[in-house]
Amino acid sequence: MPRFIPPLASALLGLILFGQGAYIHAKALLAQVLLERAFEETIVTGHPVKPWSWADTWPVARIEVRRIHVSEIALAGSSGQALAFGPGHVEQTVDAGERGVAVYSAHRDTHFRFLKEVAIGDEIDVTRSDGKRFRYRADGSSVARFDQSGIDPLTDRYELVLSTCWPFDALTSGPERYLLHATLIAPDSSLSESGS
Amino acid sequence: MTTIDDASETSQQTRLSRRMRILLFFLVEGIAALAIGFAALFLSFDPVWSAEQPHAVLRPGTARSGSLLLKTDDGYTDALRLGIDVDLTVSGPTIRARVTQIFRNPTRDWMEATYVYPLPAGGAVDTLKMVVGDRVVVGDIKERQQARAIYEQARSNGQKAALTEQERPNIFTNSVANIGPGETVLVQIEYQEPVQQDGNEFSLRVPMVVGPRYNPLPVVQSVDLRADGNGWGTTATDPVPDRDRISPTALDPAENAPINPTRITVHLQAGFPLGEVKSHFHQVNIESPDTTTRVITLAGGPVPADRDFELTWKPAAETAPSVGLFREHVGKSDYLLAFVTPPSIEQAQQAPRPREVIFVIDNSGSMGGTSIIQAKASLLYALGRLQPTDRFNVIRFDDTMDVLFPAPVAATSSNITNATSFVSALQARGGTEMVPAMRAALSDTNRDDADTIRQVVFLTDGAIGNEQQLFETIGALRGRSRIFMVGIGSAPNTYLMTRAAELGRGTFTHIGSVEQVEERMRGLFARLENPAVTGLSAKFSDATADLTPAALPDVYRDEPLVLAAKLDRLAGSVEIKGRVGDRPWSVTLPLANAADGKGLSKLWARRKIADAEVARTTRQVSPEDADKTILALALEHQLVTRLTSLVAVDNTPSRPDGEPLKLAELPINLPAGWDFAKVFGEHPRQPAAAPTERRAESGDARVGDSRVQVASLKRPGPVIAPTPAPVQLPKTATDAELKMIAGVILLTVSLLFLVFNRRQMSPR
Repeated sequence: MPRFIPPLASALLGLILFGQGAYIHAKALLAQVLLERAFEETIVTGHPVKPWSWADTWPVARIEVRRIHVSEIALAGSSGQALAFGPGHVEQTVDAGERGVAVYSAHRDTHFRFLKEVAIGDEIDVTRSDGKRFRYRADGSSVARFDQSGIDPLTDRYELVLSTCWPFDALTSGPERYLLHATLIAPDSSLSESGS
Repeated sequence: MTTIDDASETSQQTRLSRRMRILLFFLVEGIAALAIGFAALFLSFDPVWSAEQPHAVLRPGTARSGSLLLKTDDGYTDALRLGIDVDLTVSGPTIRARVTQIFRNPTRDWMEATYVYPLPAGGAVDTLKMVVGDRVVVGDIKERQQARAIYEQARSNGQKAALTEQERPNIFTNSVANIGPGETVLVQIEYQEPVQQDGNEFSLRVPMVVGPRYNPLPVVQSVDLRADGNGWGTTATDPVPDRDRISPTALDPAENAPINPTRITVHLQAGFPLGEVKSHFHQVNIESPDTTTRVITLAGGPVPADRDFELTWKPAAETAPSVGLFREHVGKSDYLLAFVTPPSIEQAQQAPRPREVIFVIDNSGSMGGTSIIQAKASLLYALGRLQPTDRFNVIRFDDTMDVLFPAPVAATSSNITNATSFVSALQARGGTEMVPAMRAALSDTNRDDADTIRQVVFLTDGAIGNEQQLFETIGALRGRSRIFMVGIGSAPNTYLMTRAAELGRGTFTHIGSVEQVEERMRGLFARLENPAVTGLSAKFSDATADLTPAALPDVYRDEPLVLAAKLDRLAGSVEIKGRVGDRPWSVTLPLANAADGKGLSKLWARRKIADAEVARTTRQVSPEDADKTILALALEHQLVTRLTSLVAVDNTPSRPDGEPLKLAELPINLPAGWDFAKVFGEHPRQPAAAPTERRAESGDARVGDSRVQVASLKRPGPVIAPTPAPVQLPKTATDAELKMIAGVILLTVSLLFLVFNRRQMSPR
């Protein structure tokens, strides 16, 4: 009988590990559904709405890339807890549509997995929690260390940066970040509500 | 027996086969793990390699590069280009320099260019010419505001115009307006400068780049109460009010090719047969048309403007001429320039007077790279030269400061060992708060001690913008201390060095490379250890003379006394008297025998202006009176000063109405040997980037944060233009995949285990 113990233990451990990994993905997927609902409500009511009662964050923007059919709800703050559920709006950067650089970060293996498919010239739409919608155009990318992002938060331009870990397919986390730079091309008024 | 034997044999066999099985199992397991591991490896890394190739946009080096590139709509990127040509003619005691800046505009826009560049601190800038096509426009000297108004008027009229302004006696700005698409405009300035003499070596320096300066910020307002004591004063809010004007963008040499190619030609007519002629930091070709003349050109063609050019020459004879006398007749006056090197009398029998030496070393970020190595080597040399009778102390500063000993200590071997290890451990980082360090060095604990000589040896690159504050500190606190400046690096601030040494009644030694450390420090120590020539005075027998420097400074060993005078007539003689150590010395020069010199009037005027600036600093003269004197001299002698500028306007308008004008502030190289990260990247702007301080996302917090960011930009830093506060990016990788892969591996292993067990059991 004892000879069954090692394989069973190993199988159990394997299942737990696999389960944990899968749980991260499941949480990320499920959270987006709840967030989508909360965000719709936020736009309608005008107040921040928590996606579930014990959440410590709330949705602040929707990021869409129409060409590759991606839509993600971004959360306030970029703490580890927030990033588990969706992209985070990095603290101390401006809101989308304002002068300066709006920075959103998300995990490379969940919400911002699509970032490697975004090509220069793609249009990125950001809907704010007040319902205003801004269209950006991807115009460059770079790789930088997390503490040397080179982002000038006080720039005179209207910019958007989506950031995630680099390299895309590495298994462990490193200091490098991939930055997708985009510049505002159309403010709120000129966009029709036809999208998404 | 046999049965027992059999039994033991079979048991042995089973044990063996079990061992074999276990071995086999581990083998299979190992192979499986390896195979899965490999699969995982390829899975994770293969796409990374491919990702870097096809997406050209992913390369970090090219994305968002320097500010030199001006982006235009059709993707054509280029910027205003600058080339520099420096032509120097040395005739005896003076240097006439012509600096031509070639502004080329390859863009499709009308451009205005500004270029901040250094000149020798003693240079008298008197000519500005602008060459447009085949037209040459000669500039006029005007009061500064007036010149700027003329320039701005011409700029808005679409006329080509050039303006030369002085930011510091050694930093100038040229602005050129309305350079058309594809056009080239030449701006030429000329200056006059005296040759430097040190013992039997003559030298000239052409500074080529303004090292990025550290500009301290006002933390406490300084109040300037007028001397007449009516109690009302003004507050100076900023130690460097013109910080933007002296801080051009410096390009990171790691990411940008060197810019601003410079050609240098020197026509050297020494006036005596020449011996060794040497360029210290550049490869040169030297032609010798005759014994007294040399033509020096750069060997490898143009060089990037990133370090000073230094040329020294020696006479063929053993000893240099100890006296030089030159004259020039301009208008109704005669101008005289005299070089007199007092004899170096060997020490009298009695022991040298004991000294108290305070060493100050700058270990700020701008000293990073080779400069700190030179500074440390120099200081270690100096420590090794101390005599047992001497007392000493060591101060190091960046934006903080440490004084090694609480009070100066005797130069015992243990104290020197202590100081040596302190100096050896220094690292270059941080800002340059020079004033507190100078204040500490000048705080004299036993100022009534008449037997010892107090000397401050100050090693720095002088990369600060608040020179005036430092001068005021020296002027107020110098007491009996003498200040010996040691300029370190490829592009030190010579204005700061010479003026500080002058105010501190010491000397300026420049060390531009590690090889120069020993030779130059030996020279400095000859000055520190030998008595100076003191109590100097000059008396003209017949002529009435306006002499400069007004109060003759003390002269150190091998240093010449340089005098400039304006005379009503050239007659009689001049007698110079002083004391070398404790022995009287005098020399009489007959004026009639003076040789002809060029541009001496300008040198005299420049020297008078420097005197007026010194008097203003030391509050001997009110600022208004000093400014009046400076303005009158500058206008009479056509010199660019703090209060006057040269402006040239081409009368033909060139830019059509309605065409916009773009401004390009030309970037500069970082001085050679400087460490870009140490200068610009040293201050992590924490307030803006603080990752630990997470605020709730409310409107109020927002406003607060943006204020913090602005404040952080105003932190003192050697940074020029507002530097972006970097945004710290959160960690954005989960271990989901890693966990899943590990899970799959473990599951596979256990599966194999089970299969193996089943097979093991089935035969039984």
